[in-house]
Amino acid sequence: MHMLLAQAAGTTISVAAIGKGLVYGLAAIGPGIGIGLVFGNAIQAIARQPEAAGLVRPIMFIGFALAEALALLGFVLFFLIH
Amino acid sequence: MNLAAGPAFTVPDINELFTYRSLIHPFKVGPVVFHFTYLTLVMFVLSFALCALFIAAFRRPAVVPGKLQNMMEAAIDAVRENIVLQTIGPDGDKFMPYLTAVFFFVFVMNFMEIVPGVQVPLTSFMAVPALFSLMAYLIFNFVGIRKQGVYHYFKDTAFPPGVPVFLYVILTPIELVSKFIFRPITLAVRLFANMMAGHVMLTIFFLASTYFLIGGHNNILRGMSIFPILLAIVLTGFEFFIAFIQAFIITILTAVYIDESLHPAH
Amino acid sequence: MHALLFLAAAEPSSTGLVLPKLDEFIWALIAFVVLFAVLAKFAFPALRKGLDAREQAIRGELERAEQSRLEAESKREEYDRRIADARAEADRIVREANESIEATRRERIARAEDEARQILEKARSDAAQERQRAFDDLRRTMADLSIEAATRVLGKELSDPAAQRQLVEQFISQTGNGSNN
Repeated sequence: MHMLLAQAAGTTISVAAIGKGLVYGLAAIGPGIGIGLVFGNAIQAIARQPEAAGLVRPIMFIGFALAEALALLGFVLFFLIH
Repeated sequence: MNLAAGPAFTVPDINELFTYRSLIHPFKVGPVVFHFTYLTLVMFVLSFALCALFIAAFRRPAVVPGKLQNMMEAAIDAVRENIVLQTIGPDGDKFMPYLTAVFFFVFVMNFMEIVPGVQVPLTSFMAVPALFSLMAYLIFNFVGIRKQGVYHYFKDTAFPPGVPVFLYVILTPIELVSKFIFRPITLAVRLFANMMAGHVMLTIFFLASTYFLIGGHNNILRGMSIFPILLAIVLTGFEFFIAFIQAFIITILTAVYIDESLHPAH
Repeated sequence: MHALLFLAAAEPSSTGLVLPKLDEFIWALIAFVVLFAVLAKFAFPALRKGLDAREQAIRGELERAEQSRLEAESKREEYDRRIADARAEADRIVREANESIEATRRERIARAEDEARQILEKARSDAAQERQRAFDDLRRTMADLSIEAATRVLGKELSDPAAQRQLVEQFISQTGNGSNN
């Protein structure tokens, strides 16, 4: 009984809390796939042509940074949402 | 949730984890109120310790290096071989002092996450990653403008050559926003987020271990504490790895951004 | 449920965590600038100097090694040359000795052959002379004997002894020549 009341009182804020959790979880899906693709393909490229490693590596890190940016925005939103 | 005889397992407020009391009375310089916390002290100790290490290693550079000099030379050479030469190339030697300082400083500050007595990464306070991000931002823009000229730098960024004209409608805003807005933010937030999440994770696992071990009703619950303890130990090792990787990533990304400004034809 | 309630009940703003605090920023800036200054103004120049010194030392060592190698090589060449000279000299001496021995041998042989030939010739000529003398003696004796025989046979001497002798000798030489040939 007590718990139910408490739940009723905090409902609106609890939804916000769930929303906060979802923001980062959803924001991490796309970048997770994207980063996997970036590194996977970079590894393939380097494995096929080890002499191209010097060329691939900076581009790989740029791609990784770009993909991860979205996840990081989600992380920031986690703190910004009320 | 309430397994124990005592109070329920509560995750401490996240602000509480990252709030430290000022050791001295806060003082005001202009509009800024300065707090000198324990972690500020640790940060200065780390900085001075690194300085002392480098000074001790290279105070009298010997032709046949001693143990310390050899070690520091190997460390600097590792940064040069794996970060600078891989991204900027030979003319990256100009940026070696900066990049080496960033790598070592960020690494030791990350490493504080698993050092007993501190056990909080100094980089999980946004101001620290923001500093490295801001410096990287200033450096790569400055290098780009000096190398390519103001006009070419901004024109080549907004309108990358070798792209069909109609694509500029989509590409130009993306390029501008990602380079001048997202880049500094993500560079800082990446380090901040990784270290902060690691710290929160370790905190929760160690709190859970304590909760089971001390607050458990019976021996079964107490015995179950082995799982969070083991996991916390594994995660401590993992966080060491993360500390290294994040220092490496912020350094190599800074180097990549400098390289992009230095060699725009890439 | 309690955890959720806890979150719900104490909902302080956590926005401050993602915003850099200016005082922390300035402390970090000071700490970093100190480290960077030490690295840029002290450690890297010292490192460079140390590396340069090492490079110089290694280069010097290599050059010295190269020099001593060259020296050793030239010395070795000289020794080789000397050895080759000595060998050639020895060869020459042996050859000359051989030649002189050979020459002496030839000379001796030639002389011996000469001597033998001279002795032979002398012996031959002596023998021929002896033979001639013996032959002459024989002829004279034969002539005398024939004349005597003839005188005895004829019972009288030929009137002119000189003429008769000449006749006989002529006869003998004719027969002697015939028998000799």
